[in-house]
Amino acid sequence: MVLIRPRITDYHGVPLPQAQLDFAIPFFDEDIPLYVDPFLLWRSPSQQDQALHTSIVNSFNHLNFLLHKGREAEARETLVFASECEEVGLGHSKSRKGVRIGTSKANEILALFHDIPEYGKHGFSHFEEIQLYVRDISADRVSDVCCSFIKSFLIDFTIQQCEELGIPLEQSTIPQLYSYQRNKFLVEQQINLPVHPETKTPIIFVPKRWLRFGPWINFENYFRDYCPRDEIFNPGEPENPVKVLNYNREHYGVVRHYVNAKERTQEDCSNDPLFKQIPVASAKRKLSSIKNLPTGNKNKADVEYENNIVQLLASLLYPDLDFAEAQSRTDTGTLIRDLIFYNNRSIDFLQEINEDYGNRQLVFELKNVKAIEREHINQLNRYLNTGLGGFGIFVTRNPLPRAMFQNTIDLWSGQRRCIVALTDEDLSLMVNVFESKQRSPVDVLKKKYVEFRRACPS
Amino acid sequence: MKLQDVDQFEKLAGQLQSLYEEVAVLSKKSPTDAMNKFKLNFINDVLRQANQFLGEKYIPFGHFSEFDADDVPQNSDVVFILAQYLQSFEKFRADNVYRELSSWYWNVKGKEGAIETIMPKRLRE
Repeated sequence: MVLIRPRITDYHGVPLPQAQLDFAIPFFDEDIPLYVDPFLLWRSPSQQDQALHTSIVNSFNHLNFLLHKGREAEARETLVFASECEEVGLGHSKSRKGVRIGTSKANEILALFHDIPEYGKHGFSHFEEIQLYVRDISADRVSDVCCSFIKSFLIDFTIQQCEELGIPLEQSTIPQLYSYQRNKFLVEQQINLPVHPETKTPIIFVPKRWLRFGPWINFENYFRDYCPRDEIFNPGEPENPVKVLNYNREHYGVVRHYVNAKERTQEDCSNDPLFKQIPVASAKRKLSSIKNLPTGNKNKADVEYENNIVQLLASLLYPDLDFAEAQSRTDTGTLIRDLIFYNNRSIDFLQEINEDYGNRQLVFELKNVKAIEREHINQLNRYLNTGLGGFGIFVTRNPLPRAMFQNTIDLWSGQRRCIVALTDEDLSLMVNVFESKQRSPVDVLKKKYVEFRRACPS
Repeated sequence: MKLQDVDQFEKLAGQLQSLYEEVAVLSKKSPTDAMNKFKLNFINDVLRQANQFLGEKYIPFGHFSEFDADDVPQNSDVVFILAQYLQSFEKFRADNVYRELSSWYWNVKGKEGAIETIMPKRLRE
């Protein structure tokens, strides 16, 4: 069975869509493009989240304790270990691999406890403030430090979720695990966790309520809206961010003021969804552009058609089908664009598609042509034969010509292949129900399937 | 025609008329929008009773009995069908009433005392 952009739940046959799960479903081969924002833990009404934030900040401030005791090497090593947390797979890496910070960067961060007396004396209340003093501390670094210090909790959370969902656990090695009791990283810990099926590396889940595209307290926001530029830069001087970082080191009060302002506006800080549907007005505009496009590839009409369809279908079919990927392939010299959705089996029809046709993912092949031809059907059929399942969908402009429809019926009779076509008219109905909420847009797909099956010989 | 048929007719015709009026409003606003399953269930319930009542002679379409929710019927489809059923009910009434003086009565077998009804629609227009 082939899986495009495999996720752990689909691999283990867990039929739940992302919307119904508490954690962000990890991909096997790439990161989730969101980050843990420690501010979300701080502002959470849950005592558990607040306590976890306290433990993160305590662990970070413990580095100051080590510095005071003259154990600089230990502090540096702890910070370097904390700077990467591969097991959670958050960020923009295409390989779930990350790099730790170097010793010089670690020294730069640790120096804040010396250079800024307030931190040396009272410690950080939001450790992500380090972004305002040290260059190149990005969202993924803040997220990784956060996850490293609460990794033990995340492991418990992962095990609990896996047991509820029936995802198998295997003994695996966690290279570094922070012990809150001993305030140090323990190495090579053997723990039962879900693993990558090929590399056998452990995977840790993260609650999706902690995820954002970037931290609430961040340098870009500070640089753009809060820092007193007229005080930092001379008139006409290029605005170099490094100068702001240096300024902050000498003006703790300005940073404190910024953090206080962010704390005051905490109500506006919320987690970012893993997928955001386009608004109804935008869906209608995209449908209108699709309808006005000519068929064929003149003036790149095919590319525009495909781009509009990608955004439209991903939104229309959410949350019944989670969008996986838009991909391109070449078949007999023709470039073909298709969309892959995870089959969450969230409704009876999708369950049937999974059971009868073996589809763990759904393929939507995009064809901006006047009429589907025999070769198009053969191309899709060949693609389905690569292990995607027996059910495929054309997204095209007009209904299949009678002969081609008969061709799909024959494919069902001979090979139990089911190929249906979503036309402009069907998309229009999907957008209508997307707006009115009277039915789910996925019902239109079911309608096409039911119509097809009625036409098949019994 | 029996007395209970008159009761059944009045009930079903009233339900069909009110469903038609409700859906016609929706259809006027967005004719191509899908009818939701909740409403469709009740419409189908009334249609099933109407089919049984009308019988083969008066049923509007031989090959239509009720909506299939899987077909995602649109508002205008539902209005179209309900209008046909209303016509069939009117035809049924026209065939089962008689006029005495200036009033119209149901043609009920063995009933003492006539049951008054309204004038058939085609004569009203």
